[in-house]
Amino acid sequence: MWKKIFDWLDERLGLNDLYNTLLDRPEPRGNWWNTLGSASLFLFVLQGLTGIFLTIYYTPSPDHAYDSIQYIMEGVAFGWLIRGIHHWGASLMVLVVFIHMLRVFVTASYKYPRELTWFIGIGLLLATIGMGFTGYLLPWNQRSYWATTVGTQIAGTAPLIGEFILKALRGGPDLSALTLQRFFSAHIWIIPAILMALIGIHLYLIIKHGESHFPKKDE
Amino acid sequence: MNEEIKQKIKERYEQELNKGERFWPDSIFKDVIVSLGIFIVLVLLATFIGVANEPKADPSDTSYLPRPEWYFLFLFKFLALYGQIPVIDKIEWLATVLVPSLGIALLTFLPLLDKSPYRHYSRRIFALTVMGTIVLDMVLLTIMASLPVPPDADELAVSTTLQTIGGLWIPAALLTILVVIYAFKRSLYWESTRRNVPLWVTVAGAAMMVAMTAAVSIRAAAYPKPEEAEVPSTLVDQIVAGQDLYSVQCVECHGDDGSVAVIEGVEGLEGEKITPINSRDVLYTITDGAMYEVIAYGRPNAGMPPFGKTYGGELSRSEIDYIILFMRYTWDDRFEAPVIPELFPPLAEGEVPSYDVHIAPIVKRYCVSCHRAGKENNDYLMTSYEEILTTGENVEKNIIAGDMNSYLLQVIQGHEIVNEKGEVIIGVMPPKTKLKANVVDAFIRWIMNGMPKTAEDAAALSVMPEATPAP
Ligand code: HEC
Ligand code: HEC
Ligand code: HEM
Repeated sequence: MWKKIFDWLDERLGLNDLYNTLLDRPEPRGNWWNTLGSASLFLFVLQGLTGIFLTIYYTPSPDHAYDSIQYIMEGVAFGWLIRGIHHWGASLMVLVVFIHMLRVFVTASYKYPRELTWFIGIGLLLATIGMGFTGYLLPWNQRSYWATTVGTQIAGTAPLIGEFILKALRGGPDLSALTLQRFFSAHIWIIPAILMALIGIHLYLIIKHGESHFPKKDE
Repeated sequence: MNEEIKQKIKERYEQELNKGERFWPDSIFKDVIVSLGIFIVLVLLATFIGVANEPKADPSDTSYLPRPEWYFLFLFKFLALYGQIPVIDKIEWLATVLVPSLGIALLTFLPLLDKSPYRHYSRRIFALTVMGTIVLDMVLLTIMASLPVPPDADELAVSTTLQTIGGLWIPAALLTILVVIYAFKRSLYWESTRRNVPLWVTVAGAAMMVAMTAAVSIRAAAYPKPEEAEVPSTLVDQIVAGQDLYSVQCVECHGDDGSVAVIEGVEGLEGEKITPINSRDVLYTITDGAMYEVIAYGRPNAGMPPFGKTYGGELSRSEIDYIILFMRYTWDDRFEAPVIPELFPPLAEGEVPSYDVHIAPIVKRYCVSCHRAGKENNDYLMTSYEEILTTGENVEKNIIAGDMNSYLLQVIQGHEIVNEKGEVIIGVMPPKTKLKANVVDAFIRWIMNGMPKTAEDAAALSVMPEATPAP
């Protein structure tokens, strides 16, 4: 019975082909440091899931953002757990992605034929940091408000285009409802979309070239 | 890179694959274990540490010290130390834009810059020592940034100098040496016997950086810890916080319960008629938003001063919000108040109250509104344990351990203090309200037993009847 269903699906979806290309691949002898990429992926998915839950209650307006977070923490069943995971997960994701990059650097896995994987990786690192920066403002508390004020100020010191960057980030001369709206949109749509696209290419390249092996003395 | 080398790399990889494992299940197994571990760590962090509660954003409070997320701290510190360098510190964008962009650009184009086909550590000493130095500096700058602020200008100068040396000059010098060796004497990185030179230079530099950071941290350990104000998170805590603030800021004009209709005893407003703010007229017609503005801006023309920081008052956004919550939940009959805990835990037979647990909340609620700087109070300040015992015109007589004639105990029991000439020098306290019996009792027990500060000190003085075993 199960076999029949499987065969039927396999004929149309190509499950066996998928299995052969995606899962039943040869790999060099693995190492625990090589789990950090998939750990980054896991954290990205986890942040996505907990983040979607948070948007159900979160309101991106200066008048209500703070209170909506308070409500998530106090009023919603297990809201504190979901927000706690999202909060700590953000920190951990930056850390894990960074260490993943360091391990790729140390094992020189960015060399031929994996240069492109590295370029995409830099995009991923920057996007991850961007997620942290935009997400930090959303609770609209003292800490986030002033950190973002200073953060955008720093970006605004660039010669010539500084003024423009500052206005583009803040949506005006000061932090306002527009800034919050902008950061929210970047945090839940723009950057995640970029991240997802980049992760897709990253993973494709990894499957295409295979995981690099740990270098031996003569290499 | 020529085709031959590419071919070699591919062949080598094939060999490794043959000696290797399968992605499923071997590699996936490790991945799942690590991800599961991360998930468990996250749940534990969320449960046992949680997310620190912060007050609401307050654009008017420019005194707030901005603290970025921890992974930006190193940049923050770098900018602060860069500001110490003479001359170029004026060109801000060098540090804010150029250095970070350069760093990211170098990192991005690494595969194009580093074209050597070699992958083993022994052939990449230059890349590894440079990266190692930078990452170590990032870690050390992060540590420096999270230390408490030095208490005075001298200490600040010493600390900043140490930080600049350890976090900026040594790493900069180290990187310069590494690059110079690479540019002029590249063979030092290759020849296996002499490879030690750049390695030892790096180790020595790193040790100095760590030593500087350790010195700064040890000095910082002796600084007074900044007081972390607790931010009330639950509704009950917020209402209580609001009541305390109301007691300090508003009672003199509006009374304990907001019922004052004619102001008494306030300079300049004597006999002023106002609408009681606990009435429906006020509570039903003024929305939270408007109430916020009334408190923040005050009614300067009518005699109510501004309280919001935006207009020169003392209260932050969150604090005004707490006051409004307190007003709603205690006076507005459309709101159902949650159970508010007692001001202080009730005292058992023979139990001695302590300052920390009992007297501090009482004083905050009933006395501090007048007994703080800038009010008329015979210079008797009551905002801390020390002040209560050591200030006031009649400091010797106010509080005498074990003496019922202490002025404080007399005035709170309704007996004025009169001098030899028959003039009243201290009226009854608090002047317009009468304290509840249990509050007076707490003051009496506290002073009669020598004014213990901490709960432990008080417990040591208590003579409790033998605890009866639970049935
Ligand atoms: C120095 C005396 C004084 C203090 C202190 C004071 N008020 Fe007032 N308050 C007044 C006066 C006088 C009015 C009446 C203004 C009017 O009639 O327009 C008033 C009016 C109000 C009103 C509006 C009532 C209405 O009818 O519109 C509110 C609400 C209020 N006060 C709340 C507070 C709160 C909360 C505090 C503490 C943070 C406070 N006040 C502190 C003097 C004071
Ligand atoms: C409405 C303002 C107000 C409040 C509330 C208040 N006091 Fe006073 N207190 C005064 C003033 C004013 C004086 C100065 C003497 C006088 O005018 O009676 C004073 C003086 C005193 C003194 C004498 C200080 C000295 O060294 O001469 C004591 C003791 C005292 N208060 C205790 C208290 C205690 C305890 C409470 C709280 C339960 C309290 N007061 C609440 C206004 C206040
Ligand atoms: C959201 C962030 C990221 C995700 C989800 C991710 C995911 C992964 C995964 C699953 C792998 C294979 C397993 C492993 O080697 O650990 C991998 C490998 C790799 N990653 Fe990433 N990565 C991220 C960020 C980065 C960054 C910041 C870089 C470097 C700048 C990078 C460069 C590479 C390279 C070069 C490889 C190939 C390594 C090899 O073949 O040995 N990645 N990545």
